[in-house]
Amino acid sequence: MEKKEISEILKKALNSGADFAELFWEQKESSSISCEENRIERINSGIDEGVGIRVIAGENTSYAYSNDLSFSRLLEVAEIAAKGARKSQEVLEIKEFQTPPSLLKLEIKKPPHEIEIEEKVQSVLTVNEAARGVDNRIRQVTVNYSDARQKVTIANTDGVFVEDLRTRTRLSVHAVAAEGDLVQTGFQSLGGSVGFELLEENDVIELAKTAAQRAILMLSAKPAPSGKMPVVLTGKAGGTMVHEACGHGLEADLVQKGLSVYAGRIGQEVASPLITVVDDGLLKGKFGTSCYDDEGTPCRKNVLIRDGVLENYMYDLKTAKRDQVSSTGNGRRESYKSRPIPRMRNTYIAPGKTDPEKIIKDTKEGLLVMAMGGGQVNTLNGDYVFDVAEAYLIKDGEAIYPVRGATLTGNGPETLRLVDIVGNDLGFTIGICGKEGQGVPVSDAQPTMVVRELIVGGTGGDSTTQGKTIRRL
Amino acid sequence: MEIQLLKERQFDVYKEKGVKYSMETVAPKVLDMAQRKGAELAEVFLLDSQKLTIEVASQKVENLKLSEERGFGLRVISQQRLGYAYSSDLSEKALIKTVERAIYNSRLVAEDSAWDVATLGKSYPVLDLYDEEIIRKTVEEKISLAQEVEKTALASDSRVRQVEKAVYQDSSYRISLYNTRGLVCSYQGSYCGLYGVVIGQEGEDAQTGFSMNFSLKYKELNPTKVGLEAAEKAVRMLGAKSMPSAKLPVVFEPYVMTGILEVLQTAFSGKAVIKGTSFLAGKEGKKVASPLVRIIDHGALPGQVGSSPFDSEGVPTGETVLVQDGELLGFLHNLYTASKLGVVSTGNAVRSSFKSTPEVGATNFYFDKGTVSREELIGEIKRGLYVTEVMGLHTANPISGDFSLGASGLLIENGELTTPVKGVAIAGNLQGLLLGIDAVADDLTFYVGQGAPTVRVQGLMISGK
Repeated sequence: MEKKEISEILKKALNSGADFAELFWEQKESSSISCEENRIERINSGIDEGVGIRVIAGENTSYAYSNDLSFSRLLEVAEIAAKGARKSQEVLEIKEFQTPPSLLKLEIKKPPHEIEIEEKVQSVLTVNEAARGVDNRIRQVTVNYSDARQKVTIANTDGVFVEDLRTRTRLSVHAVAAEGDLVQTGFQSLGGSVGFELLEENDVIELAKTAAQRAILMLSAKPAPSGKMPVVLTGKAGGTMVHEACGHGLEADLVQKGLSVYAGRIGQEVASPLITVVDDGLLKGKFGTSCYDDEGTPCRKNVLIRDGVLENYMYDLKTAKRDQVSSTGNGRRESYKSRPIPRMRNTYIAPGKTDPEKIIKDTKEGLLVMAMGGGQVNTLNGDYVFDVAEAYLIKDGEAIYPVRGATLTGNGPETLRLVDIVGNDLGFTIGICGKEGQGVPVSDAQPTMVVRELIVGGTGGDSTTQGKTIRRL
Repeated sequence: MEIQLLKERQFDVYKEKGVKYSMETVAPKVLDMAQRKGAELAEVFLLDSQKLTIEVASQKVENLKLSEERGFGLRVISQQRLGYAYSSDLSEKALIKTVERAIYNSRLVAEDSAWDVATLGKSYPVLDLYDEEIIRKTVEEKISLAQEVEKTALASDSRVRQVEKAVYQDSSYRISLYNTRGLVCSYQGSYCGLYGVVIGQEGEDAQTGFSMNFSLKYKELNPTKVGLEAAEKAVRMLGAKSMPSAKLPVVFEPYVMTGILEVLQTAFSGKAVIKGTSFLAGKEGKKVASPLVRIIDHGALPGQVGSSPFDSEGVPTGETVLVQDGELLGFLHNLYTASKLGVVSTGNAVRSSFKSTPEVGATNFYFDKGTVSREELIGEIKRGLYVTEVMGLHTANPISGDFSLGASGLLIENGELTTPVKGVAIAGNLQGLLLGIDAVADDLTFYVGQGAPTVRVQGLMISGK
């Protein structure tokens, strides 16, 4: 598609008097390898290409997409989208195309499409063997590798014209351990806006072992206690808590609709003064990083909460216009099939000053969380829940035994106010974040920190009666 | 607005270099190419679909989305190795590239004699899956249904602050399967639905309520019911507080029970049996649940959104009883898992799109209804928790069966629903939960191809303040 054709399509889309029209053209080449049962079970690859056209008139958005890319069909699609969002008789002119400079230069050392499938398969098999070698109680190991190369062209009637190439690579290991009737699992993953070098620059053997060792460890774990108690989240545990407890609530669409506990609270204290929350789209190589967002806005680093005070929300173009600010580079979409909405990228709580080891040593009792799993939040009232993948009961600064089956339940703003100590470490985990049915790659992190109290939902009963309850199986 | 997208576009036709072709012509071409390149068996899955979504806020259309999607997925079996590739591009060049990729991908996959494609079935269930009315109705009329959801919710109670979302959605699609064993089959289907997310507010406290109504028939849509139910669910949770930790009887609403059932699905998959990752493996003929439990998968259930005449490998669908009187009868299978375990496919090959390989999955998966009424079931409880919402279901572990969920609901005191509860966690194990069911109500409700009645479980650990 030439610029001239794109601008004709946009002209058509503005035809019925809308304020804004945008074209998003995506070509995505993906490949995936899956190893299970000690062998390569599936290799899949393909191309998905399509164009999405968005038209905005006032508060009304219309979106149409097609993977029929003929110029004549795209003109029709533009017309359909235009009809969905009509405002006035006045037809706006399209501004001349210009490309805003990117604040980042991404260098893909080993573009995945240039690597032979044999080499990818070899790495996957090595990882599988490493996990299986940990212990003979490992019953099953699944290794999934995937890479994607996404070429996008974004053009809108405000004159933005951006071409961007995103490369992402991901590896995950899922181990199942069994002893008698008891089955436990362990999971670790790795991913980034990088090429195949991901598997060379990271210790994938260690990753495999960690997943398998966690499954084994959980075989000997006791049921987690239940009730309110202090919780130490270590820097290695990942950022699920910050993602759920405040990240989603700081997305401008939810804020503007009055669906967030953080709405109308800019400049107010919403967290402990030890808490600074950042969403950074420029962190080199991280899973949520890219040069531009899916509306052609250059990505940037945004401080959302500074020393406990709410400073900013995450914006896309539409919500930014409404608040008369500029987009923060957080307009993202899963593919050409979806309209962009404000989304997180790489979200983290900034490290503090305390030595993490000292934090653990100084904890009298509570739950020590070494790895978090998935989570969920109701942004309206800030209630959230997240899963604990590896945790220990802690007593007088020592981890006394591992516990399993715990979920932590809390309220976002309340939890962030209850943070007493923040460590000087920081560890990222990756994930696919879901919102309105769209999944986008993100990463999140936090330093080691102590939350004065959270509800731990285990099966082990009151923490004081620990050991007296029998686990039903 | 006079959008008539569905009429503007010809179904099942694509253009290349200005010439129109039927999508169906793609399949024989691809199969032929695959065989010439050395595939012993090949299968083409074709999808052509369109979808309309309308979101209304403050009686205005906030978002309108029209989409069309099509593409094909190719499976080849060459020297007992399976290869897969897909493309949304139907040009001659893309077809060749896809065939080459599928064969290339197959080279490094482990050999397995269990891979196969389907032969033509003896008979396929006859189902009424396509409703002309969904296509015929104007966009204005569909908008008015979503507006009705919002209006009803706002008018139902003064504590309803806002309707976060009132949505109308429909889709029509055509699925075709071709393979080198001579299988040729296709069907056309459509569905439509409404859902509403409502916010209730009293003082500082805000709560969300949700309701949906998906159907194969346009005339079965009921916006008033969706609006009222979502509003009621939001309002009844106002003033919710945490409760002290205790082990209590727990009652799951049909919507919540359906969610739990979804996690259980994985354990009923023949694939999980082969991998040793199902806690039900090896328990056929044994008691795995309370005698009150009957769990069924039925791919040809009339009137349900999950129905189709054949699965995504072309095997006819039908009813599979998985648990009867608490006893495990079997598992769900596609051709591969069935062959591995020496049984026949249950017609449960499922693909999420043309981009994915056919895996084992559920069709209409449901927990059969019992005989008591919901009121009787609650009436027998002195103190318990009626759970209306759980959070973090996707974190439940389908392999070990362990779950720990954030929950909210209503307290049951002396057989009555009393005060709202939030901020608690319920933990347990799915096996224990199934065995601990001591009452099943007669109110089986379906939510897009999955369903359950109200279910009572003896004692679960509730963690609170």
